[in-house]
Amino acid sequence: MRRPNLGRVGVVALRVIRQLKRDRRTIGLIVFAPIVLMILFGYALSGDMSGVALGLVDDGGHAALRAHLVSIKDFDILYLGSESDAEKLISEGKLDGAVLLQPEGVRVLLDASSLQISGTIAAAVQAGMSREGASRAGTEIPIITRYIFGYDLKMMDTVGPAILGLVVFFFTFINAAIAFIRERSQGTLEKFMVSPLSQVEIVSGYVLGFSLFTLLQSATTLVVVTFGFGVPLRGSALTALAVVLLLGAGALVLGSFFSNFARSEFQVVQFIPLIITPQIVLCGIWWPLQSVPEFIRPFSYILPLTYAAHALRAVMLKGAGIGDILYPDLLALGIFFLIFFAAATLMLRREVG
Amino acid sequence: MAGDWAISARGVKKSFGRLRVLDNLNVDIPFGVTYCLLGPNGSGKTTFIRAIVRLLHLDGGEMSVLGRPVSEVGEIYSKIGYMTQHKALYPDLTVQENMEFYAGLYGISKQKREERIEELLQMVDLNEHRSRLAGMLSGGMYQRLSLACTLIHEPQLLLLDEPTVGVDPRLRQIFWEYFKRLTGEGKTVLITTHLMDEAEKCQVVGYMRAGRMAAEGSPEEILRLAGLKPRLLLWLAEPERDAALLRGQGYEIKVDGGVVMLSLESHAQIKEILAQVSPLDMRLVEPKLEEAFLRLSEAA
Repeated sequence: MRRPNLGRVGVVALRVIRQLKRDRRTIGLIVFAPIVLMILFGYALSGDMSGVALGLVDDGGHAALRAHLVSIKDFDILYLGSESDAEKLISEGKLDGAVLLQPEGVRVLLDASSLQISGTIAAAVQAGMSREGASRAGTEIPIITRYIFGYDLKMMDTVGPAILGLVVFFFTFINAAIAFIRERSQGTLEKFMVSPLSQVEIVSGYVLGFSLFTLLQSATTLVVVTFGFGVPLRGSALTALAVVLLLGAGALVLGSFFSNFARSEFQVVQFIPLIITPQIVLCGIWWPLQSVPEFIRPFSYILPLTYAAHALRAVMLKGAGIGDILYPDLLALGIFFLIFFAAATLMLRREVG
Repeated sequence: MAGDWAISARGVKKSFGRLRVLDNLNVDIPFGVTYCLLGPNGSGKTTFIRAIVRLLHLDGGEMSVLGRPVSEVGEIYSKIGYMTQHKALYPDLTVQENMEFYAGLYGISKQKREERIEELLQMVDLNEHRSRLAGMLSGGMYQRLSLACTLIHEPQLLLLDEPTVGVDPRLRQIFWEYFKRLTGEGKTVLITTHLMDEAEKCQVVGYMRAGRMAAEGSPEEILRLAGLKPRLLLWLAEPERDAALLRGQGYEIKVDGGVVMLSLESHAQIKEILAQVSPLDMRLVEPKLEEAFLRLSEAA
């Protein structure tokens, strides 16, 4: 073997520096991506929550606990008449939990499909009770906790359904962007432009062709998630696949659209921290949306993965049917798809102009 | 009239930023000819072809394609065959699959499709490679497949941007025979090339320079335009004496050692000359298009 020569190492290093110096996008990515990602992760991991929808049924007593819950500004309190109202609203996903104050004890109803939120509510009730305990020492007041959903859920169970969406979104986005880059670089796209094929037909053809693979991919992931990791599938597998297909179609047109801003496969890879990672952090898969700081939260609500994750959790963990997730989840996914379908189609033409 | 030409361009302009690529270009290409666009790199040949199929919009001027204004060219894409410098093939599809894909795009019926594929693969000599992946073909084969795909829908107008790059001389010959057959059927072929011997095979040659048409005509006309004549080289025993004799009759003559070089107005003059001098050896040098273009470039 030849001995390493410092001079040659220097030649290679110099070339790398020269190339990078001209690649402003990569420099931008090296400098700004960590800042953006650290801010996102930092906020999401801070554990602070806001906008937790808590039902309160006040049948008397526990003034200190009640005052404590009301004083927590991260809780949006909704006053309810009965336990059955609370249960209904939780099962519809409109409440994250409820506290029933009764003279003989306290009942806490929780939705464990987000463990962090149910943990936060339980902790707040504990804190309130300990204040109350301080004011009337001696008597033990029972707290009964009841899970409306998922009393037996583990971390994987709540994350699993969303991972199904994430996997499909990630691969479809990357594959579609690369496929369109290739159409451009090998000259086929230009040839399409001079053929009877319209832009709408090109993008539609891609959606149709990719759907087959999306279906295959989501079916395998679903099998692994349910049989391999024991995540419950209480709703219909077909409904889950329908959600994933719609998400995949959105990822495809998004990838097609963003391929216009990349010149090579290398640059497509650079989209991962910019487009995929924020979705992972902000879509409520690992951390509930309530823990996303309020000024970023509107952003969560324009990301398709937010709706797909929500719908998939509803189908798999709560047994929701297609009618239950039509609004807002399927509607939002549909709108996202249509917007980027139009954008991708228009960009194909613009690129030629 | 626009209807009289396969392609007609009048005062066509196109700039990219401050760079003027097409500068008041005028071209008329008749139906049923092979028209060759020649010119140095960056002279605007490819830009012109892209403008014909409306892959870019003109800044000014008028253009018609197959009798339609260029703004309506989208409606006659099925009559145009366009071969770009990128080969526009799918390397991970086989030769046959690539052909089928393009046949499908143009809605060619299943029965007709197989017939066309057979004929074209025969022409480009790829019939034995039907099931090979396009990505595994050599550069020249890839080029040939690209041409076959461009011809699949029997276009009326063929726009070929350097179609013979990397193709061996024998196959180039076959291509040119095929183009001749197409023009015989009334189809129009517009071709760009750097190869002068190919230009000589075209009925009309247009020489572009800096976005304008610097010279246009049949290869013979171009030679005449550049003032190039056939030359006769004579090896003579007494060059000085014979040169003086011929010069006296008005011939344009140069003497270099024992060789006398005469410029001819026509080939008929050779006979007259040989009646007066008896050379030890002689050679006729025909003018080359290449020379003509070099001279035209210098003049411009």
